[in-house]
Amino acid sequence: MATTNATISISSDISSYPMRINSSMTMKKAGSCHGLEETTGMRTKKFGTVTTAAVIVEHDELTDDKAHKVYIRNTSSSKENFFYVAYNASAAAAATAETIGKLYGGDWMLFPYDGNVNIVVASDGVIEQTLEYMVFADGIVAAAG
Amino acid sequence: MATTTATVSISSNDLMPGSSLSINGSSTLMKAGLTTGLTQLRTGYESIATGTEFRLGPLATEMSGDAHNIASWVYICNKATDDTYYIDWGINETMIGRLYAGDWMFIPWNASDDAAEIEIEAQVGAQTIEYAFFASDLVLATAAS
Repeated sequence: MATTNATISISSDISSYPMRINSSMTMKKAGSCHGLEETTGMRTKKFGTVTTAAVIVEHDELTDDKAHKVYIRNTSSSKENFFYVAYNASAAAAATAETIGKLYGGDWMLFPYDGNVNIVVASDGVIEQTLEYMVFADGIVAAAG
Repeated sequence: MATTTATVSISSNDLMPGSSLSINGSSTLMKAGLTTGLTQLRTGYESIATGTEFRLGPLATEMSGDAHNIASWVYICNKATDDTYYIDWGINETMIGRLYAGDWMFIPWNASDDAAEIEIEAQVGAQTIEYAFFASDLVLATAAS
């Protein structure tokens, strides 16, 4: 059994009293005390200056209805430019009903994913941007021969 | 200007045999497309009953301006301790993943319209969540009388 830990720390002075969140989790299989044992590995993809949509997580490579985790980070430094991130079958992340949000330069996200539908992104196409992403998998489906 | 910083650390010594994993990310949460920090914060600690889908966070129409272009961030942690318990989370009537006991998630959220609300539903048993919503342009609901 592998052990993968993820810790988030958030600090903010939005309110007059400083706010701090610290939370850690060990990534486990669905409904189990056993840790996740598989991953797609870290991937990076560079997007050019044309608006481009792409599937970054193909659900049919993963077991359905499980406790996968997806980490995505926009490695560019521009706070003006972004990727849409969506949960959608096709690579059209910008205007779909299931658009989750926009990931601007330097931003990251980590979320639980059931593996039932693709994760897609669309760059804004204004500048070159690079995404890094990784799936911590609760079951990878072997490709058919 | 308020400053809200979110950092993540993901580590494992045995997920990928032969190489240790260490991911670190840090983001300062800004208004969409700007280098101005977010200015509003809502936090909560809520018990979630099973059998009902609840909305977490505001509706798009509870924000001023074009909600689709407002950057918001959502942190949710499932405080349950029973490994079989989880909370389905999704957007726009589409469940995206399972937040199991002890897990946390952190996502950007861009509400294109009221239907693109964040939805959560406790499965297996009632659970407690801790959440924080970082935003700008939220407006209070008008009083009933």
